[in-house]
Amino acid sequence: MRLDHPNILAGVLAVQAVATVFFVADAARDTVREGLSAYIFFESLIALALLLGLAVGGAALRRALAEIRSSRRALRLASGAVAEVLDGEFRRWKLTAAEADVALFALKGLDLGEIAALRNTAAGTVRAQLSSVYAKAGVSGRAQFAALFVEDILAEMWVNGGAEGGAAPKLAAAPAID
Amino acid sequence: MSGAPEALDPPVPIWDPLVRLTHWGIALGVLSNAAVTTGGKFVHVSIGWAVLGLLALRLAWGLVGPAEARFGTFPPNPRAAIRHLGELLRGRVSRYPSHNPAGALMVYAFWATLMVVILTGIGITGTTPLGVARREAAIAQGDWSVIAAETPLFSTATSDALKAVHPLAGNLLLVLAALHVLGVFVESRAMRVNLVRPMIRGRRQGARDVPPGSGGPR
Repeated sequence: MRLDHPNILAGVLAVQAVATVFFVADAARDTVREGLSAYIFFESLIALALLLGLAVGGAALRRALAEIRSSRRALRLASGAVAEVLDGEFRRWKLTAAEADVALFALKGLDLGEIAALRNTAAGTVRAQLSSVYAKAGVSGRAQFAALFVEDILAEMWVNGGAEGGAAPKLAAAPAID
Repeated sequence: MSGAPEALDPPVPIWDPLVRLTHWGIALGVLSNAAVTTGGKFVHVSIGWAVLGLLALRLAWGLVGPAEARFGTFPPNPRAAIRHLGELLRGRVSRYPSHNPAGALMVYAFWATLMVVILTGIGITGTTPLGVARREAAIAQGDWSVIAAETPLFSTATSDALKAVHPLAGNLLLVLAALHVLGVFVESRAMRVNLVRPMIRGRRQGARDVPPGSGGPR
């Protein structure tokens, strides 16, 4: 786990907050009991450092959370986009509604029997529909059919992938901990 | 088939690690001070002050944190709270990006009561945890003069009132906590969603859309 992981940032913030409360209260107590002294200068400096640490740590946590959330959102949108791409290809091949359903199940890795059970039809019907799908897509069988999309996705990644570089968010450097 | 991406709004809030940490830290502190530690002693006082630190952090996060941690996302709204409880009775509850209106009222009541417990506690002690430690060390050596030398912060009447209010508010805190646990249980049943999990692991049930390596469990 990296030092700028949100869980670690939150843990550091909690320790800092508790330490700040203890320290500031004790410094205030000393001042009340013993009056102003040279100590108070250093104590104020330390209190300021703790408060600045809290502010910077809070900002870092805020940013880390925002980046994780935006990358999750991007991934959800991307999975939506895959569905759109499939939809577009199925339309281009002029698949019927039944064929499109069967094709999607096939891509999801279901076998003939499972598809037939899901659609309440005979396995023979599904086999015929799949043959029709493969013919319209210009492929010889299920492996080639799946490969069509893998190929497209990989090509997309090579074209667009460099900029984003994976799902893991890049976080700014962790704040200095006083 | 439809190519529309699924709705982007999460069905239940995803609590960030600071909310989770302060939640469980305060719960642990309140429970141990209620059931384990002895009032007035160094450990009890220190835990109380640590809870103050966590509470202050959570309240600051309520101003600057992400949306579902911010006060503006769950304003105190008694009318909406009553409406929500009505929905609960009928078994059909709306979903909210943060606390539901009834839960929000509970949160504010809990924070206010906790503040009363902490402030009366500090008033009774009249010093910081370090002051308590010094006092206990002196007394352990038979030097009772430290107590005589202390100037009391409040009059006897005020001090007695603080001593009466502190345990009273503490018990109210436990009642609110029990109601909160009951509320989570009832809402989880009504929503058919496990509401405890997001407070422990920071993500909701079946979070299949979470990319690996980002904000997973520790």
